[in-house]
Amino acid sequence: MDRNYHVFSDGRIERNDDTVRLVTEDGEKKYLPVENAEALFLHGQIDYNTRLVSFLNDHGVAMHVFGWNDYYAGSIVPKRGQTSGQTLVEQVRAYDDPERRRDLAAKFVAGSIHNMQTNVQYYDNRGHDFGPIRDRLDACRSALDDAESVEEAMGVEATARRAYYSTFDEILPEEFVFGGRKYNPPNNEVNSLISFGNSLVYANVVSAIRATALDPAISYLHEPGERRYSLALDIADLFKPLLTDRVVFRLVNRNQLTTDSFESELNSCLLTDAGRKTFSKAFEETLERTVEHPRLDRKVSYQYLLRMEAYKLKKHLLTGEEYVPFERWW
Amino acid sequence: MTGVMMQYYEVCERELWFLSRDVEIDRANPAVVRGTHVDESAYDEKRRNFSIDGTIALDVLDSGQVVEVKPSSSLVEPAKLQLLYYLWYLDRVVGVEKSGVLAHPTERQRETVELTDENATRVEDAIRGVHAVVTSDSPPPAEEKPFCESCAYYDFCWSC
Ligand code: SF4
Repeated sequence: MDRNYHVFSDGRIERNDDTVRLVTEDGEKKYLPVENAEALFLHGQIDYNTRLVSFLNDHGVAMHVFGWNDYYAGSIVPKRGQTSGQTLVEQVRAYDDPERRRDLAAKFVAGSIHNMQTNVQYYDNRGHDFGPIRDRLDACRSALDDAESVEEAMGVEATARRAYYSTFDEILPEEFVFGGRKYNPPNNEVNSLISFGNSLVYANVVSAIRATALDPAISYLHEPGERRYSLALDIADLFKPLLTDRVVFRLVNRNQLTTDSFESELNSCLLTDAGRKTFSKAFEETLERTVEHPRLDRKVSYQYLLRMEAYKLKKHLLTGEEYVPFERWW
Repeated sequence: MTGVMMQYYEVCERELWFLSRDVEIDRANPAVVRGTHVDESAYDEKRRNFSIDGTIALDVLDSGQVVEVKPSSSLVEPAKLQLLYYLWYLDRVVGVEKSGVLAHPTERQRETVELTDENATRVEDAIRGVHAVVTSDSPPPAEEKPFCESCAYYDFCWSC
Protein backbone atom coordinates (compact mmCIF):
# COMPACT_ATOMS: atom_id res chain seq x y z
CA MET A 1 0.00 0.00 0.00
CA ASP A 2 1.17 3.53 -0.72
CA ARG A 3 2.65 5.27 2.27
CA ASN A 4 2.44 8.72 3.78
CA TYR A 5 5.62 10.46 4.86
CA HIS A 6 5.48 13.07 7.60
CA VAL A 7 8.14 15.72 7.88
CA PHE A 8 8.33 17.52 11.22
CA SER A 9 11.64 19.31 11.06
CA ASP A 10 12.24 22.75 9.56
CA GLY A 11 14.40 23.03 6.45
CA ARG A 12 13.95 22.41 2.78
CA ILE A 13 12.95 19.54 0.56
CA GLU A 14 14.34 19.32 -2.90
CA ARG A 15 14.67 17.07 -5.86
CA ASN A 16 18.02 15.31 -5.87
CA ASP A 17 18.40 13.35 -9.12
CA ASP A 18 15.67 10.75 -8.88
CA THR A 19 14.97 11.12 -5.20
CA VAL A 20 13.50 13.62 -2.82
CA ARG A 21 15.92 14.93 -0.27
CA LEU A 22 15.14 16.63 2.99
CA VAL A 23 17.78 19.00 4.32
CA THR A 24 17.05 20.02 7.88
CA GLU A 25 18.09 23.33 9.39
CA ASP A 26 21.10 21.78 11.08
CA GLY A 27 22.32 20.39 7.76
CA GLU A 28 21.20 16.81 8.20
CA LYS A 29 20.14 15.06 4.97
CA LYS A 30 17.44 12.45 4.64
CA TYR A 31 16.10 10.76 1.54
CA LEU A 32 12.42 10.07 1.08
CA PRO A 33 11.50 7.13 -1.13
CA VAL A 34 8.92 8.43 -3.59
CA GLU A 35 8.30 5.20 -5.51
CA ASN A 36 5.79 3.91 -3.00
CA ALA A 37 4.69 7.23 -1.54
CA GLU A 38 1.08 8.34 -1.51
CA ALA A 39 1.69 11.76 -0.01
CA LEU A 40 4.10 13.97 1.91
CA PHE A 41 2.80 15.73 4.98
CA LEU A 42 4.76 18.85 5.84
CA HIS A 43 4.42 19.95 9.46
CA GLY A 44 7.46 22.16 9.88
CA GLN A 45 8.62 25.32 8.13
CA ILE A 46 9.72 23.89 4.82
CA ASP A 47 11.04 25.53 1.67
CA TYR A 48 10.57 23.91 -1.70
CA ASN A 49 10.71 24.95 -5.31
CA THR A 50 8.84 24.27 -8.54
CA ARG A 51 11.37 21.65 -9.56
CA LEU A 52 10.31 19.57 -6.57
CA VAL A 53 6.64 20.16 -7.30
CA SER A 54 6.92 18.89 -10.87
CA PHE A 55 8.95 15.91 -9.71
CA LEU A 56 6.25 14.95 -7.22
CA ASN A 57 3.68 15.57 -9.90
CA ASP A 58 5.43 13.10 -12.21
CA HIS A 59 5.42 10.51 -9.48
CA GLY A 60 1.81 11.10 -8.52
CA VAL A 61 2.70 12.12 -4.98
CA ALA A 62 0.54 14.69 -3.23
CA MET A 63 1.90 17.20 -0.75
CA HIS A 64 -0.22 18.30 2.20
CA VAL A 65 0.88 21.32 4.15
CA PHE A 66 0.04 21.64 7.82
CA GLY A 67 0.35 25.05 9.37
CA TRP A 68 -0.96 26.82 12.48
CA ASN A 69 -4.43 27.67 13.65
CA ASP A 70 -6.55 24.76 12.53
CA TYR A 71 -3.57 22.84 11.24
CA TYR A 72 -4.46 22.19 7.62
CA ALA A 73 -3.03 24.82 5.29
CA GLY A 74 -3.42 23.36 1.80
CA SER A 75 -2.46 20.66 -0.66
CA ILE A 76 -0.52 20.45 -3.85
CA VAL A 77 -2.20 17.64 -5.68
CA PRO A 78 -0.63 16.14 -8.79
CA LYS A 79 -2.72 16.18 -11.89
CA ARG A 80 -4.36 12.87 -12.53
CA GLY A 81 -3.26 10.43 -15.14
CA GLN A 82 -6.86 9.75 -15.86
CA THR A 83 -9.65 12.16 -16.46
CA SER A 84 -13.14 11.29 -17.51
CA GLY A 85 -15.59 13.74 -18.94
CA GLN A 86 -18.35 11.23 -18.36
CA THR A 87 -17.63 11.06 -14.64
CA LEU A 88 -17.65 14.83 -14.32
CA VAL A 89 -20.93 15.11 -16.19
CA GLU A 90 -22.58 12.51 -13.96
CA GLN A 91 -21.18 14.17 -10.86
CA VAL A 92 -22.71 17.49 -11.83
CA ARG A 93 -26.00 15.90 -12.85
CA ALA A 94 -26.45 14.35 -9.43
CA TYR A 95 -25.57 17.66 -7.81
CA ASP A 96 -28.09 19.51 -9.95
CA ASP A 97 -30.96 17.16 -9.20
CA PRO A 98 -32.32 18.25 -5.78
CA GLU A 99 -33.71 14.81 -5.05
CA ARG A 100 -30.46 12.99 -5.78
CA ARG A 101 -28.35 15.55 -3.99
CA ARG A 102 -30.53 15.29 -0.91
CA ASP A 103 -30.31 11.49 -1.00
CA LEU A 104 -26.55 11.51 -1.22
CA ALA A 105 -26.26 14.14 1.53
CA ALA A 106 -28.54 12.05 3.76
CA LYS A 107 -26.44 8.95 3.09
CA PHE A 108 -23.25 10.70 4.20
CA VAL A 109 -25.01 11.83 7.37
CA ALA A 110 -26.51 8.37 8.00
CA GLY A 111 -23.09 6.74 7.69
CA SER A 112 -21.52 9.33 9.99
CA ILE A 113 -24.17 8.81 12.64
CA HIS A 114 -23.76 5.05 12.45
CA ASN A 115 -20.02 5.38 12.98
CA MET A 116 -20.53 7.73 15.92
CA GLN A 117 -22.92 5.13 17.36
CA THR A 118 -20.31 2.38 17.23
CA ASN A 119 -17.90 4.50 19.28
CA VAL A 120 -20.59 5.39 21.82
CA GLN A 121 -21.63 1.78 22.06
CA TYR A 122 -18.04 0.68 22.60
CA TYR A 123 -17.73 2.92 25.64
CA ASP A 124 -21.27 2.18 26.77
CA ASN A 125 -20.14 -1.44 27.12
CA ARG A 126 -17.09 -0.35 29.08
CA GLY A 127 -18.49 1.18 32.21
CA HIS A 128 -20.13 4.35 30.89
CA ASP A 129 -23.83 4.91 30.79
CA PHE A 130 -24.47 6.34 27.36
CA GLY A 131 -28.00 4.97 26.97
CA PRO A 132 -29.57 8.43 26.62
CA ILE A 133 -26.97 9.52 24.06
CA ARG A 134 -27.51 6.36 22.07
CA ASP A 135 -31.24 7.11 22.03
CA ARG A 136 -30.55 10.64 20.83
CA LEU A 137 -28.38 9.34 18.01
CA ASP A 138 -31.04 6.79 17.08
CA ALA A 139 -33.58 9.61 16.96
CA CYS A 140 -31.29 11.61 14.68
CA ARG A 141 -30.96 8.66 12.40
CA SER A 142 -34.75 8.41 12.11
CA ALA A 143 -35.18 12.16 11.72
CA LEU A 144 -32.91 11.94 8.73
CA ASP A 145 -35.55 10.05 6.77
CA ASP A 146 -37.79 13.10 7.03
CA ALA A 147 -35.12 15.59 6.09
CA GLU A 148 -36.38 17.18 2.92
CA SER A 149 -33.37 19.21 1.98
CA VAL A 150 -29.63 19.20 2.23
CA GLU A 151 -29.89 21.92 4.90
CA GLU A 152 -32.11 19.74 7.03
CA ALA A 153 -29.73 16.80 6.65
CA MET A 154 -26.92 19.14 7.71
CA GLY A 155 -28.99 20.19 10.72
CA VAL A 156 -29.47 16.58 11.77
CA GLU A 157 -25.77 15.93 11.40
CA ALA A 158 -24.96 18.92 13.61
CA THR A 159 -27.39 17.77 16.30
CA ALA A 160 -25.99 14.24 16.19
CA ARG A 161 -22.43 15.42 16.39
CA ARG A 162 -23.22 17.63 19.40
CA ALA A 163 -24.78 14.70 21.24
CA TYR A 164 -21.85 12.50 20.28
CA TYR A 165 -19.25 15.04 21.38
CA SER A 166 -20.96 15.31 24.76
CA THR A 167 -19.63 11.83 25.54
CA PHE A 168 -16.02 12.94 25.14
CA ASP A 169 -15.83 14.67 28.53
CA GLU A 170 -16.74 11.35 30.14
CA ILE A 171 -14.52 9.14 28.02
CA LEU A 172 -11.44 11.30 28.48
CA PRO A 173 -9.66 11.96 31.79
CA GLU A 174 -10.59 15.00 33.91
CA GLU A 175 -7.74 17.27 32.90
CA PHE A 176 -8.92 17.09 29.29
CA VAL A 177 -11.92 19.37 29.32
CA PHE A 178 -13.75 19.59 26.02
CA GLY A 179 -17.07 21.35 26.37
CA GLY A 180 -17.97 21.34 22.67
CA ARG A 181 -16.37 21.90 19.36
CA LYS A 182 -14.41 25.09 18.65
CA TYR A 183 -12.40 25.71 15.54
CA ASN A 184 -9.90 28.16 14.20
CA PRO A 185 -7.98 28.13 16.43
CA PRO A 186 -8.90 25.25 18.73
CA ASN A 187 -9.33 26.56 22.28
CA ASN A 188 -8.36 23.49 24.32
CA GLU A 189 -6.51 20.19 24.12
CA VAL A 190 -9.45 18.08 22.95
CA ASN A 191 -10.43 20.51 20.22
CA SER A 192 -6.84 20.67 19.16
CA LEU A 193 -6.63 16.90 18.84
CA ILE A 194 -9.87 16.70 16.90
CA SER A 195 -8.74 19.47 14.54
CA PHE A 196 -5.42 17.80 13.92
CA GLY A 197 -6.92 14.34 13.45
CA ASN A 198 -9.70 15.56 11.19
CA SER A 199 -7.28 17.43 8.98
CA LEU A 200 -5.26 14.22 8.59
CA VAL A 201 -8.44 12.37 7.63
CA TYR A 202 -9.28 15.12 5.18
CA ALA A 203 -5.85 15.08 3.52
CA ASN A 204 -6.00 11.31 3.14
CA VAL A 205 -9.42 11.54 1.53
CA VAL A 206 -8.04 14.11 -0.92
CA SER A 207 -5.42 11.53 -1.88
CA ALA A 208 -8.07 8.81 -2.18
CA ILE A 209 -10.28 10.89 -4.46
CA ARG A 210 -7.28 11.63 -6.66
CA ALA A 211 -7.10 7.92 -7.50
CA THR A 212 -10.45 8.21 -9.28
CA ALA A 213 -11.53 10.64 -11.96
CA LEU A 214 -13.94 12.32 -9.54
CA ASP A 215 -13.73 16.08 -9.28
CA PRO A 216 -12.95 16.85 -5.63
CA ALA A 217 -14.73 20.20 -5.77
CA ILE A 218 -18.21 18.86 -6.57
CA SER A 219 -19.93 17.70 -3.43
CA TYR A 220 -23.35 16.88 -2.04
CA LEU A 221 -23.53 17.43 1.70
CA HIS A 222 -21.19 20.41 1.84
CA GLU A 223 -21.52 23.30 -0.55
CA PRO A 224 -19.19 22.91 -3.50
CA GLY A 225 -16.35 25.22 -4.20
CA GLU A 226 -15.49 26.41 -0.75
CA ARG A 227 -11.89 26.93 0.23
CA ARG A 228 -11.37 23.20 0.63
CA TYR A 229 -12.14 20.27 -1.63
CA SER A 230 -15.71 19.89 -0.57
CA LEU A 231 -16.16 16.31 -1.77
CA ALA A 232 -13.33 15.35 0.57
CA LEU A 233 -15.28 17.00 3.39
CA ASP A 234 -18.34 14.87 2.55
CA ILE A 235 -16.38 11.63 2.62
CA ALA A 236 -14.14 12.56 5.56
CA ASP A 237 -17.17 12.93 7.85
CA LEU A 238 -17.82 9.20 7.52
CA PHE A 239 -14.37 8.29 8.76
CA LYS A 240 -13.72 10.78 11.57
CA PRO A 241 -15.14 8.54 14.32
CA LEU A 242 -13.08 5.55 13.14
CA LEU A 243 -9.85 7.41 12.48
CA THR A 244 -9.62 10.65 14.48
CA ASP A 245 -11.72 9.92 17.54
CA ARG A 246 -10.43 6.44 18.26
CA VAL A 247 -6.85 7.67 18.04
CA VAL A 248 -7.65 10.56 20.39
CA PHE A 249 -9.25 8.26 22.98
CA ARG A 250 -6.43 5.75 22.78
CA LEU A 251 -3.55 8.19 23.06
CA VAL A 252 -5.06 10.27 25.84
CA ASN A 253 -6.41 7.39 27.92
CA ARG A 254 -3.05 5.61 27.74
CA ASN A 255 -1.20 8.77 28.71
CA GLN A 256 0.77 8.86 25.49
CA LEU A 257 -0.46 12.41 25.15
CA THR A 258 -0.73 14.58 28.25
CA THR A 259 -1.44 18.25 28.79
CA ASP A 260 2.32 18.75 28.35
CA SER A 261 1.89 17.82 24.68
CA PHE A 262 0.24 21.19 24.01
CA GLU A 263 1.19 24.82 23.84
CA SER A 264 -1.38 27.39 24.86
CA GLU A 265 -1.27 30.95 23.74
CA LEU A 266 -3.94 33.55 24.25
CA ASN A 267 -7.08 31.69 23.21
CA SER A 268 -5.46 28.95 21.18
CA CYS A 269 -4.15 25.56 22.16
CA LEU A 270 -1.98 23.62 19.73
CA LEU A 271 -0.04 20.38 19.76
CA THR A 272 3.71 20.61 20.24
CA ASP A 273 5.99 19.06 17.63
CA ALA A 274 6.41 16.01 19.82
CA GLY A 275 2.65 15.80 20.24
CA ARG A 276 2.08 15.97 16.51
CA LYS A 277 4.64 13.24 15.99
CA THR A 278 2.98 10.96 18.48
CA PHE A 279 -0.42 11.57 16.97
CA SER A 280 0.70 11.15 13.37
CA LYS A 281 2.45 7.91 14.18
CA ALA A 282 -0.61 6.43 15.88
CA PHE A 283 -2.75 7.72 13.03
CA GLU A 284 -0.59 6.06 10.38
CA GLU A 285 -0.68 2.81 12.33
CA THR A 286 -4.43 3.03 12.34
CA LEU A 287 -4.52 3.59 8.57
CA GLU A 288 -2.49 0.41 8.15
CA ARG A 289 -4.86 -1.73 10.20
CA THR A 290 -6.77 -4.20 8.14
CA VAL A 291 -10.22 -5.68 8.17
CA GLU A 292 -11.79 -8.51 6.22
CA HIS A 293 -13.86 -7.06 3.40
CA PRO A 294 -17.14 -8.95 3.02
CA ARG A 295 -17.33 -8.75 -0.75
CA LEU A 296 -13.75 -8.54 -1.91
CA ASP A 297 -12.94 -11.64 0.09
CA ARG A 298 -9.63 -10.32 1.32
CA LYS A 299 -8.28 -8.02 3.97
CA VAL A 300 -8.14 -4.32 3.20
CA SER A 301 -6.47 -1.52 5.16
CA TYR A 302 -8.41 1.32 6.72
CA GLN A 303 -6.60 3.57 4.27
CA TYR A 304 -7.92 1.51 1.38
CA LEU A 305 -11.45 1.96 2.75
CA LEU A 306 -11.09 5.64 1.85
CA ARG A 307 -10.20 4.71 -1.72
CA MET A 308 -13.14 2.27 -1.83
CA GLU A 309 -15.47 5.01 -0.69
CA ALA A 310 -14.45 7.11 -3.67
CA TYR A 311 -14.98 4.08 -5.92
CA LYS A 312 -18.43 3.48 -4.46
CA LEU A 313 -19.52 7.03 -5.01
CA LYS A 314 -18.20 7.05 -8.53
CA LYS A 315 -19.88 3.74 -9.25
CA HIS A 316 -23.18 5.10 -8.03
CA LEU A 317 -22.83 8.24 -10.14
CA LEU A 318 -21.92 6.32 -13.29
CA THR A 319 -24.20 3.31 -13.01
CA GLY A 320 -27.08 4.42 -10.84
CA GLU A 321 -26.42 1.45 -8.53
CA GLU A 322 -27.19 2.34 -4.93
CA TYR A 323 -24.54 4.09 -2.89
CA VAL A 324 -24.27 2.60 0.58
CA PRO A 325 -22.12 4.79 2.82
CA PHE A 326 -19.28 3.37 4.87
CA GLU A 327 -20.61 1.99 8.12
CA ARG A 328 -18.21 0.19 10.38
CA TRP A 329 -19.21 -3.49 10.18
CA TRP A 330 -16.78 -5.04 12.63
CA MET B 1 -14.84 -0.35 -31.96
CA THR B 2 -11.56 -1.78 -30.73
CA GLY B 3 -10.50 -5.41 -30.56
CA VAL B 4 -10.34 -5.33 -26.80
CA MET B 5 -14.02 -4.38 -26.65
CA MET B 6 -14.80 -7.61 -28.49
CA GLN B 7 -12.76 -9.51 -25.99
CA TYR B 8 -14.44 -7.88 -23.01
CA TYR B 9 -17.84 -8.50 -24.55
CA GLU B 10 -17.12 -12.20 -24.48
CA VAL B 11 -15.54 -12.13 -21.00
CA CYS B 12 -17.97 -9.92 -19.11
CA GLU B 13 -20.41 -7.30 -20.38
CA ARG B 14 -20.12 -5.36 -17.16
CA GLU B 15 -16.39 -5.08 -17.71
CA LEU B 16 -17.04 -3.82 -21.23
CA TRP B 17 -19.40 -1.18 -19.90
CA PHE B 18 -16.80 0.01 -17.38
CA LEU B 19 -14.21 0.17 -20.14
CA SER B 20 -16.50 2.32 -22.25
CA ARG B 21 -16.93 4.77 -19.35
CA ASP B 22 -13.20 5.30 -18.72
CA VAL B 23 -13.29 3.72 -15.29
CA GLU B 24 -9.71 3.77 -14.10
CA ILE B 25 -7.89 0.47 -14.28
CA ASP B 26 -6.45 -0.86 -11.07
CA ARG B 27 -2.83 -1.11 -12.12
CA ALA B 28 -1.81 -2.60 -8.82
CA ASN B 29 -3.91 -5.72 -9.40
CA PRO B 30 -1.32 -8.52 -9.73
CA ALA B 31 -3.23 -10.25 -12.51
CA VAL B 32 -3.37 -7.04 -14.50
CA VAL B 33 0.36 -6.60 -14.13
CA ARG B 34 0.97 -10.17 -15.26
CA GLY B 35 -1.36 -9.91 -18.25
CA THR B 36 0.37 -6.84 -19.63
CA HIS B 37 3.69 -8.59 -19.30
CA VAL B 38 2.65 -11.73 -21.21
CA ASP B 39 1.38 -9.72 -24.12
CA GLU B 40 4.51 -7.63 -24.44
CA SER B 41 7.14 -10.28 -23.98
CA ALA B 42 5.59 -13.34 -25.54
CA TYR B 43 6.16 -14.58 -29.03
CA ASP B 44 9.64 -14.06 -30.31
CA GLU B 45 8.72 -14.87 -33.90
CA LYS B 46 8.77 -11.75 -36.06
CA ARG B 47 5.56 -9.81 -35.98
CA ARG B 48 4.67 -6.36 -37.17
CA ASN B 49 2.09 -4.11 -35.67
CA PHE B 50 -0.43 -2.40 -37.93
CA SER B 51 -2.83 0.28 -36.98
CA ILE B 52 -5.90 0.67 -39.11
CA ASP B 53 -8.23 3.69 -39.06
CA GLY B 54 -6.78 4.59 -35.68
CA THR B 55 -8.98 2.10 -33.84
CA ILE B 56 -7.67 -1.32 -34.74
CA ALA B 57 -4.18 -2.45 -33.88
CA LEU B 58 -3.20 -5.91 -34.98
CA ASP B 59 -0.08 -8.01 -35.32
CA VAL B 60 0.85 -9.72 -38.57
CA LEU B 61 3.44 -12.49 -38.79
CA ASP B 62 5.97 -12.93 -41.61
CA SER B 63 3.70 -15.68 -42.93
CA GLY B 64 1.01 -13.03 -43.50
CA GLN B 65 -1.27 -14.40 -40.83
CA VAL B 66 -2.84 -12.17 -38.23
CA VAL B 67 -1.78 -13.32 -34.79
CA GLU B 68 -3.53 -12.97 -31.47
CA VAL B 69 -1.86 -14.11 -28.29
CA LYS B 70 -4.11 -15.61 -25.68
CA PRO B 71 -2.72 -15.00 -22.21
CA SER B 72 -4.24 -18.07 -20.60
CA SER B 73 -6.05 -21.19 -21.67
CA SER B 74 -9.18 -20.10 -19.79
CA LEU B 75 -9.67 -17.13 -22.10
CA VAL B 76 -9.60 -18.83 -25.49
CA GLU B 77 -12.99 -17.70 -26.73
CA PRO B 78 -12.48 -13.99 -26.00
CA ALA B 79 -9.12 -14.02 -27.80
CA LYS B 80 -10.67 -15.92 -30.67
CA LEU B 81 -13.51 -13.46 -31.04
CA GLN B 82 -11.03 -10.60 -31.06
CA LEU B 83 -9.02 -12.30 -33.79
CA LEU B 84 -12.15 -13.02 -35.80
CA TYR B 85 -13.11 -9.39 -35.52
CA TYR B 86 -9.76 -8.37 -37.03
CA LEU B 87 -10.22 -10.85 -39.88
CA TRP B 88 -13.75 -9.63 -40.43
CA TYR B 89 -12.63 -5.99 -40.40
CA LEU B 90 -9.84 -6.67 -42.87
CA ASP B 91 -12.20 -8.53 -45.14
CA ARG B 92 -15.35 -6.39 -44.98
CA VAL B 93 -13.91 -2.92 -44.40
CA VAL B 94 -10.40 -2.92 -45.81
CA GLY B 95 -10.97 -5.57 -48.46
CA VAL B 96 -8.14 -8.01 -47.83
CA GLU B 97 -8.61 -11.63 -47.01
CA LYS B 98 -6.39 -13.03 -44.28
CA SER B 99 -6.27 -16.03 -42.05
CA GLY B 100 -5.35 -15.88 -38.42
CA VAL B 101 -3.46 -17.76 -35.79
CA LEU B 102 -4.33 -18.00 -32.17
CA ALA B 103 -1.16 -18.55 -30.21
CA HIS B 104 -0.49 -19.57 -26.68
CA PRO B 105 3.27 -19.06 -26.31
CA THR B 106 3.78 -20.55 -22.87
CA GLU B 107 2.04 -23.75 -23.91
CA ARG B 108 3.53 -23.73 -27.41
CA GLN B 109 0.15 -24.19 -29.01
CA ARG B 110 -1.27 -22.50 -32.06
CA GLU B 111 -4.56 -22.81 -33.79
CA THR B 112 -5.43 -21.53 -37.26
CA VAL B 113 -8.58 -19.45 -37.46
CA GLU B 114 -10.53 -18.69 -40.66
CA LEU B 115 -13.34 -16.26 -41.31
CA THR B 116 -16.08 -18.74 -42.30
CA ASP B 117 -19.65 -17.59 -42.87
CA GLU B 118 -20.57 -18.89 -39.47
CA ASN B 119 -17.72 -16.95 -37.85
CA ALA B 120 -18.65 -13.79 -39.72
CA THR B 121 -22.18 -14.04 -38.35
CA ARG B 122 -20.75 -14.48 -34.88
CA VAL B 123 -18.69 -11.30 -35.29
CA GLU B 124 -21.67 -9.33 -36.59
CA ASP B 125 -23.82 -10.46 -33.67
CA ALA B 126 -21.06 -9.44 -31.30
CA ILE B 127 -20.76 -5.99 -32.88
CA ARG B 128 -24.46 -5.44 -32.28
CA GLY B 129 -24.02 -6.82 -28.77
CA VAL B 130 -21.16 -4.47 -27.94
CA HIS B 131 -23.14 -1.54 -29.24
CA ALA B 132 -26.11 -2.44 -27.06
CA VAL B 133 -23.94 -2.72 -23.96
CA VAL B 134 -22.03 0.52 -24.37
CA THR B 135 -25.06 2.60 -25.24
CA SER B 136 -27.05 1.40 -22.28
CA ASP B 137 -27.38 3.76 -19.30
CA SER B 138 -26.23 1.23 -16.75
CA PRO B 139 -24.13 -1.90 -16.79
CA PRO B 140 -25.43 -5.41 -16.25
CA PRO B 141 -25.39 -6.23 -12.53
CA ALA B 142 -22.30 -7.75 -10.94
CA GLU B 143 -22.16 -11.50 -11.11
CA GLU B 144 -19.28 -13.44 -9.66
CA LYS B 145 -17.29 -15.07 -12.46
CA PRO B 146 -14.20 -17.27 -12.37
CA PHE B 147 -12.02 -14.51 -13.83
CA CYS B 148 -13.30 -11.67 -11.62
CA GLU B 149 -10.12 -11.89 -9.55
CA SER B 150 -8.02 -11.00 -12.56
CA CYS B 151 -10.33 -8.24 -13.76
CA ALA B 152 -8.93 -4.72 -13.84
CA TYR B 153 -12.17 -3.41 -12.33
CA TYR B 154 -12.47 -5.97 -9.56
CA ASP B 155 -12.29 -3.60 -6.58
CA PHE B 156 -14.44 -1.00 -8.27
CA CYS B 157 -17.01 -3.59 -9.32
CA TRP B 158 -17.36 -5.20 -5.89
CA SER B 159 -16.84 -2.18 -3.63
CA CYS B 160 -19.87 -1.78 -1.47
S1 SF4 C 1 -15.12 -8.02 -11.50
FE1 SF4 C 1 -16.18 -9.70 -12.52
S2 SF4 C 1 -18.30 -8.99 -12.78
FE2 SF4 C 1 -17.04 -7.22 -12.31
S3 SF4 C 1 -16.51 -6.36 -14.28
FE3 SF4 C 1 -14.84 -7.69 -13.70
S4 SF4 C 1 -15.31 -9.67 -14.57
FE4 SF4 C 1 -17.19 -8.46 -14.65
